Parts: sequence; structure tokens; C-alpha cells
Amino acid sequence: MGKEMIAMLLAGGQGSRLYALTQKLAKPAVPFGGKYRIIDFPLSNCVNSGIDTVGILTQYQPFVLNEYIGMGQPWDLDRLHGGVHVLPPYQQASGSDWYKGTANAIYQNISFIERYDPQYVIILSGDQICKQDYSDFLRFHKEKNAEFSVAVMEVPWEEAPRFGLMVTDEDDRITEFQEKPKEPKSNLASMGIYIFNWDILKRYLIEDEADPNSENDFGNNIIPNLLRDERRMYAYRFEGYWKDVGTIPSLWEANMEVLDPEHSGIDLFDEEWKIYSRNSGMAGHRIGAEAVVENSMITDGCRVDGHVKHSILFSGVRVGKGAEIEDAVIMGGTTIKEGAVVKHCIVAGDVVIGEKAVVGAMPDGDKKGVATVGFGVYIGDGATVGPNAMVDNNVKDGEEVW
Amino acid sequence: MVNSNADALGIIFPNSYDFVVPELASDRSMASIPFASRYRMVDFVLSNMVNCGMDNISLIVRKNYHSLMDHLGYGREWDLARKNRGLNIVPPFAKKSVKVYNGRVEALASILEFLKSQKEKYVILSDANIAMNFDFAALIEAHIKTGADVTLAYTREEVPENLRAEHENNENFYYTMVIEDGRVKQIKTNPSDTGIQNYYMNICIMGREELIDIVGRAYVHGIAYLERDIFSPYLDKLNVQGYLHEGYAARIVDMKSYFRENMKLLEEENLDALFSKAPIYTKIRDDNPTRYVSGAKARKIMAADGCLIEGDVENSILFRGVKIGKGAKVKNCVLMQDTIVEAGADIEYVITDKNVAITANKEMAGNDAFPVYVMKGETV
Repeated sequence: MGKEMIAMLLAGGQGSRLYALTQKLAKPAVPFGGKYRIIDFPLSNCVNSGIDTVGILTQYQPFVLNEYIGMGQPWDLDRLHGGVHVLPPYQQASGSDWYKGTANAIYQNISFIERYDPQYVIILSGDQICKQDYSDFLRFHKEKNAEFSVAVMEVPWEEAPRFGLMVTDEDDRITEFQEKPKEPKSNLASMGIYIFNWDILKRYLIEDEADPNSENDFGNNIIPNLLRDERRMYAYRFEGYWKDVGTIPSLWEANMEVLDPEHSGIDLFDEEWKIYSRNSGMAGHRIGAEAVVENSMITDGCRVDGHVKHSILFSGVRVGKGAEIEDAVIMGGTTIKEGAVVKHCIVAGDVVIGEKAVVGAMPDGDKKGVATVGFGVYIGDGATVGPNAMVDNNVKDGEEVW
Repeated sequence: MVNSNADALGIIFPNSYDFVVPELASDRSMASIPFASRYRMVDFVLSNMVNCGMDNISLIVRKNYHSLMDHLGYGREWDLARKNRGLNIVPPFAKKSVKVYNGRVEALASILEFLKSQKEKYVILSDANIAMNFDFAALIEAHIKTGADVTLAYTREEVPENLRAEHENNENFYYTMVIEDGRVKQIKTNPSDTGIQNYYMNICIMGREELIDIVGRAYVHGIAYLERDIFSPYLDKLNVQGYLHEGYAARIVDMKSYFRENMKLLEEENLDALFSKAPIYTKIRDDNPTRYVSGAKARKIMAADGCLIEGDVENSILFRGVKIGKGAKVKNCVLMQDTIVEAGADIEYVITDKNVAITANKEMAGNDAFPVYVMKGETV
């Protein structure tokens, strides 16, 4: 039996703007929100929307991501027919190729999609934090009798030039597409989430592949070609939390917004739309007798003896006596020793921050950088990491990095 | 076959000692009593066995095992979802004339055919009332090294007072042992001796074929209890060795010890002793991390994921999904899954079972010796 809709998740992004965090892992595998990774969001959205077949297209640093996805059991995606599959580029009889662009990545996996004989294919992005019901998107697509639909967000007009914009008529039919225009005609920004009728998508992928001048990209090639042919294209207005976390400041900001679900709109505490993740398997966290914890999120395996304010601690983080943590995102397994001061920053996993070291600083006027410490880095006792620093090498005792 | 697995199969008796905690075990077994913020008692013995390479583990349940079945599922979280061996839950098989089992002999008699068809050389028997990080591999090694027929694991501690006080009534069996040069010379059933004893952990190892032989013969003679009726009278014929467990062991023998053993984990050295040696696995609930909002106060607590803390909590154990409202005060409490303490409530020395609600501004207090217990699903 064919599937009504399957999902293809683009997870190949190198995430070069997250530099210190993506040296050893792909962007979708970057930890988020205390116990999740970015990819948990689209995967959980899929399973909560009733999609049981997901192909994950990956090519950059796939090891951590492969291991994390495994058989897909944490997302209930270990299925007999369907389930989650990691799809790296592979050697074919006709030769092999890296994924040249987003469209080419799907093109190279046409045979995977055909196995499930779907009516519709939803293309998802692996670098966004978003809780979205894809079944409502599909309902819209079917109601409009569309051949292609794109999820869009209304953005403030002054920010519109940063996005790919959909110009629509009064029925939400797309009449024009503007990629980062100087003079926007619309404020409906593409979220990079598309639903295609599979027969249409397949036809345009094959046509695009045959064009030697194409960049094989959805935004630059496939969508303009659909417009050229006056296909039935519609814009689905999404109203909810959506954030591209492709940069250090946006990743930091999205984490901070988790601490304020009443205002930010990202609610991880919603029983009706759970976000699933692979479990750390650690014991409950411990707050010591002298610790102070304010407005923070803390998960299994943490041991807190210092002062934690408006911060997110991932599994197994240890905060020593007298340490001060504020506005910080501290990823799994990191140890912050006694008297260290860690503020307004992202500290990756398995980092050691030595006694009385200082990492980051609260914003002061126009100095509001988010200090970043990469995975496994050792910051020596009494060392200083400035608010704009991005550290991916060990810092010696007493040394300063700005 | 590659020698990565232990050559012993495990058999766990989840219902033994149910009656020492009647409140907690009224609709569950000892094995499924919640412990240490996110675990059930059975998680410890199961994880200990799995961590030592045992992958063939049976639980012979007696009654009230719905919550245990729900918790264990098909054993995936313990890596026991296997084609061959894995987790095996044996429900009671009651024919007309057969009642649910009493002792270990009767329980084992119900799975004799299963035991005969297995391949492992040894069998390890255990209850589920001790939270520990037990090294079963070391037990197997010691058993082989001494050439014993049977090896019994024990701790050096005093038998809790309430067990001793009730020693005459019924099948509330506990055992201490007299050991000379490692060999068990005497097994005392329900002794009233005070002071440090060689206190049997109800964990024993012996050859599978020997166990089949003993159980088969004993059962037809109506013998129910392995330790009391078989090992104890035949200590001169059987080479029974003692194996001392010196590591951390939290043994649940009554409500008081349940409370105390939870509270002990607030001391970091105890927490490390129980959890740092090898992982303890449990059922996953996919809760979000615990959230402390502005104005919350927490001092010396252990908490699982999924909690929302707006009030003041001190010296307490919080299980998954506990909510503590604004201005509420919680001190010296054990609050099980999804307990809600509403705004302004003030509770001290209280144990709440699952899904309890303490309504706004309610005050409740027990004391160290007698914590107040609130039943599953109750609203106070």
C-alpha cells in the first residue's frame, strides 16, 4: 500500500556559522533546549502529525547524527514498512556524487521515495526549531488542489529583505517568488518547508538534473521553474513559533526563549505535542544545600552546588560551589568548577571550565556578544574567555582569549 | 560462541516482601515501587544483571503485576528485547488444584521445563527489594573459584528492628548466616539476634542442572522454601559459600526504610555510590527538563525531569512530573510521579504516591519516624 505522504529531511548543512559547535557534528545534531537536539523537532513533528516514513539526507559529519537516529525508536519511527532512514550520498553504477544542492539530494534518492509510492512528499529542514502540525499543512494543500505548497511566516516588512518571499493573490496562490529582494512586494517569508505532489516533484527534479547550469536548489531552481510553468502553487500561512537557529546568537536566543514559554511561544511542556529525544539514562539531578537556582531548566544527571540563573543545563552538567552561571546554555557533560563565572554564552558538551575562570560577560552597551566554547575544550583555572570569543582549543591556566 | 555474555541466567521474584510495605504494594509489586526519583525497584537488579552480560532474565510474578508489566514492556530499555533469550515475564499458571506460589521452590517448579531447555551453566536467583549496583560478574567468578554448590550473597548489617519484631508471624522470612572461612555453617531463619549480622540478600547462584534436580525432588515432597527447607538442613552435604557485598545497598524492609533510603540519596557520596559504577536503566517517559521559575527556591533536593517548581522545596525527592505551586512549601518529602502541590500548601515529612494532589493552602506534617503517606490518586 502506498503512503499518503512521506517526509524528506534536509540535514546536510555544515552549519559553518555555528563553527565551534559544528566542528565534529552536523547542524541538526546540535543540542538544544536541555535534552534535545535540533533534529528532534522535525522528527517529533512528523510522528505527531502521523507521518511514519522519514528520509534524512545527510553528508557532513554524519557519524553523531547516524548514531543518534539509530533505528528511530525514540521517535517511534522503527517501523516495518517505513520508519526513519538516514540517506548519505552513495556510489551508484553510473558513478557517485556528493549532494550538489537541496534538489539534487532528493533527486539522488528518487528510488527511496518510489518504494513508498507516496501521493505527497513534504520537504523539511533540519536547522529550525518549530512545532508544526504537518497534517494541517497537508489539509490546506489538498483543499487548494495545489501541486506545490510552501509554509510561510509573516515577518515585519523591514526584515523582509533577508528572506525568500512569496507574493500571493487573495486566494494565497503564489504569483511571484523574490529571493532576498531589495524592494519586497510581500512579507510572507518561506520557511523552507514544502509539500509537493510526488509526480510533479519527480518531473521537475529530473528536468532540473538535466540542466547543466542549474544549482540544483529548491529556492533558486525548482520553485522558479514551477512558476514559469504556472503550476498550482500556494502559500500556507503558519502562525506559531519558528526559528532558524543557524547562527550562534539565534541559537542562544532560541534556548533563552525556552525559559519563557508564556511569552516566546515555544512550549516544550505541552503534553499534546511532545518532543521526543534519545534519553541520557542518568539519575535525577541534584541541587545542593548551598545552591541557588532561578528561572532555569535542569535535567537528569546534573549536580548543582553553585548559583544558576536564567540558564539551561543539559544532562550531566556539574556546577561547583560558588560558581555563577547566568544567561548561559551549558551542554551535556560539562563541568564548571568552583568559583567560575559563566555568563551570556554557549558552552558545548564535555567542556571543563577551571576554578575561578571567567567565560563571557553580560551585555554592556553595544558589547553583547555570545561567547562560545567548543566541544571537549579545557578552560584552565583563572582563564578568561571574552564575550566575543569563539574557542575551540584548550585555554591554559590564567590565559585570556578575546 | 563469543564469550561476551555471562554464563548465567537470572530469575527475579518481584513480589517477595510485598507485605512489608502494604501501602506502597497495595496495587503493585515490590519490584514496581518507585525509588530514587525516576526508577522502580526492579530497575536496579535488572540493570545490574544486564551490565554484567546476563541477557536471559525471567521474572516469576505472583500477583498485582499490571504496573510491573507496564513498566517493563518487552524489555527494550534494559536491552533485553532479543530474539533469543532476553526478558521473560512468567505469569501465574493456576490450574484447578494449584494456588499461586509461596516459596521459591514452588515458583521455580512452574518453570522447570523452561529451565531444562536453557543453555546457561548457572542460575542466579534474586528478589527486587534492594537498590544497589551489584557486581553479578564478581559473584559468578567467586562461585566458580570456590567450587561451591551454592553461593549466597550477604551484607554486613543489622537486621532492621521491625523485621525482628515480627519474626514469629508468618512467612516473613529473612535469613542470617554463620560463616567460617567463607563457608556457610548455619542459616538462621527469622533470627531475633541484634547487632551486625551476615544478612542474606536473597541473592544466590548455583548450577542450572543442580537447581532443576533439587527443585524437581523438593516440589513433589511439598517443600516450598529453598533456603529454609533445602540449603539450611543440608549445609553439611552441600558446599554453600558466602559472598560479601560491600558496596552500597538500599534494602527496603518497611515504610521507614523506604523513606530513609530515598532521603539518603540526598547525600552526594550515597548518590555516587549507587549510580556511578554502572548505569541503571528505566522506562523512558519523554518529559521535558525540570523547570525552576523565578521565585522558586530549591535546596538539597533530587529531582527527575518533567517537574515544574514555583514554590520552596528543601531536602526532598521529586519524581517525574511533580508540580510545586507558588508559595507552596515542601520539606523532607518524597513526592512520586505527577504529584501536584498547589499554591500555598505546606507539607513536611510526607510521602505521596502517584497522581496525588495536595490542594491549595493545605498543611500536613508527619515526622522522621512516621512520615505521612498519601495513597495513589488521592486528593487532600
